[in-house]
Amino acid sequence: MDTRDQINFFRRIRAALGHAPDVSRNASHLFAEGPSPEELQLLDRIRRRTAEGRQALLERLVEAGKPINLSVTALPDVAYASAAIVRLVGEKKPEWGDAKHIAAWRHPLIDRLNLPEALDRLQVPVHATAPIPIDAGSQFDQVERERQRAGIIASFIGVTSADFCLADTATLVMRNRPGQPRSAALVPSIHVAVIHLDQILSDMKELFALLRWDERYRSEGLSNYMSFISGPSKTADIEATMVHGAHGPREVHLFVVTE
Amino acid sequence: MSDISTEKYIEEARRGIANPVLQKALVGLQDRFGRGTAEAYRRLPEGPDLRIKAHEIREKAIANLDVLLEILADKIRANGGHLYFAETAQEAVDYGLAVARRNNVRLVVKGKSMVSEEIGLNPALEAAGIEVVETDLGEYIIQLAGEKPSHIIAPAVHKNRHDIADLFVQKLGIRRTTDPPELTHAARKALRAKFLAADMGTSGVNMACAETGHITTVSNEGNIRMATTMPRVHVAFMGMERIVARLDEYEIILRLLCRGAAAQTMGTYASYIGGPRRPGESDGPDEFHLVVIDNGRSRILADPQFREMLYCVRCAACLNVCPVYGKIGGHSYGFAYSGPVGAVVTPLLTGINRAKDLCQGETLCGACRDACSMNIDLPRMLLALREKLAYGDAAWQVKPASRAEGLAYRGWSWLIRNRRLYELGLKLAATGQKLLPHRKGMLRRLPPPVQGWTQSRDLHPLAEETFMERWRRTRKS
Repeated sequence: MDTRDQINFFRRIRAALGHAPDVSRNASHLFAEGPSPEELQLLDRIRRRTAEGRQALLERLVEAGKPINLSVTALPDVAYASAAIVRLVGEKKPEWGDAKHIAAWRHPLIDRLNLPEALDRLQVPVHATAPIPIDAGSQFDQVERERQRAGIIASFIGVTSADFCLADTATLVMRNRPGQPRSAALVPSIHVAVIHLDQILSDMKELFALLRWDERYRSEGLSNYMSFISGPSKTADIEATMVHGAHGPREVHLFVVTE
Repeated sequence: MSDISTEKYIEEARRGIANPVLQKALVGLQDRFGRGTAEAYRRLPEGPDLRIKAHEIREKAIANLDVLLEILADKIRANGGHLYFAETAQEAVDYGLAVARRNNVRLVVKGKSMVSEEIGLNPALEAAGIEVVETDLGEYIIQLAGEKPSHIIAPAVHKNRHDIADLFVQKLGIRRTTDPPELTHAARKALRAKFLAADMGTSGVNMACAETGHITTVSNEGNIRMATTMPRVHVAFMGMERIVARLDEYEIILRLLCRGAAAQTMGTYASYIGGPRRPGESDGPDEFHLVVIDNGRSRILADPQFREMLYCVRCAACLNVCPVYGKIGGHSYGFAYSGPVGAVVTPLLTGINRAKDLCQGETLCGACRDACSMNIDLPRMLLALREKLAYGDAAWQVKPASRAEGLAYRGWSWLIRNRRLYELGLKLAATGQKLLPHRKGMLRRLPPPVQGWTQSRDLHPLAEETFMERWRRTRKS
């Protein structure tokens, strides 16, 4: 479906590169058929990672979180994580108004936190971000999307999980999916992420090796929106003074469940 | 095309040097980022040589630009996104406007993007009655002040907290404070309302990856994530050179970009965008458009002398070490791109004669090459531009910048090949210089047309005895 703008545009580029202007060139030499020796090593390293290896990654993650104001806490199981979130909800004050609402992903690990029940005593409503049925019709789709958006905007804490966390840079990696909207980690003033110990990777190299070559992740690809989040939002645009909470969350709390 | 004021380089440079707020800010900026970036390169597991690898990756990508852009376009279209290829700034702006009109857009939130400065997106949208809000804090400040960015990464570096306090009192109606966290919060509050009300978000592109079919945007504030998540429509503008082939190559570029830009290991947010919201998802834009912009880049691509400029990722590391930028500030460069990168790219994009002062104002000291995250040889290209200005160049439609200078050098060249005349000239000058004003044995002022040489320094006078005379005398004795 090449449009006229595209045809002329590529003619100019090919001419500038000294190629025939109207012939598409073969690209296979630019890409790889399979993992490089280095990537094979990375994949192997991930596969063979021991309990001690994971613990060491967790320690690196805690250290990497410090300079970027990311609080990382290891907890033995989901009950502890749930209690930690209840405590945060009790202690923290909403930034935009008085009512305390929270938003939470529909996600196997987050569902196990039983947040609606746990927060019932505090009478804090939990906005769940359920997937929108694909065949529900555009009317329902729009109403439901607006309802979820309003819930997230009203929330002062957003609870999400993540696909991975990179220890070296304290980076949460999330791929957008139905039921797991990216705005839950963006619009509320406080972002709480809950992950399993075995979701921690060493760095971007390991992540990209998995996304490129491991069948479990390769099929889904990067999704239409993959986010890297390394700590709370920040700016230094006024006299180079670091301020947290520019447009995204002012605080990010990461709970690592080690069960 | 946006405003270009490269002709005012000398005037603006004088103004910048005389501005104490700017001078203080520039010292602070270069002190922090200049050193920080060098240190950040040293801390790379692969060491600073990773920049050489990055240069190779960019070289390969640019040599295969047609192939990579085609793959990117196919993948984004397959994911439900729209592609538009704009030859000129006007075409890119018109496309953005058409998307806005079709979607009845009244409010646009804009993520920081130098290419949108280059094409003049804001004035065009505003002329069409659409409100455009810059959302990067620095860009927001200068938009409120009605000014232009003076640094690629720190656009409001020329403003101090008192300027910003006055501005916010006047424009946002807040109680006066000079506390950066309080000022930031005032902007956060005002901009949150805009993000939630906007119909369209725009962004630039830090780097696209052909293999995955994604563009990526990087920010610390989260404004680009907001602008690409909350509104119904997202339009991304991308200089056509911002692409690499593979994800593992992208990884190297991203790490160097973050280090070059702000001496960071990783920016707070990096988003990989491959298309609009998918069925079943509750957030993200309904429409995603990617506008790929040529606007003079294919001409740079065609010239082997300047193709290297297209490897640039606009991290701004060169600004943070440049002794010239460090004195005159970004406004002197008169276009979206300032510092050494601007001194090369602005003449190439806007006309070499028109922007001649930019490349002639740099020192060729080489600091920018050492700081460049992509290891680009900027001084080489500065020299190549000066050569074109000296001799003229038909392909780039360059006229010799100064006929008089050309004649003077031709005369000089002739003179030194005529030994007797040359020595006679030296004798005459040695005698004539006694008429010029002196201070402590130094020449204080040269006569026109060479008075510029003594504008800010004294010159050693010519020796009474020339080298050749001394040679003959000492050999005899």
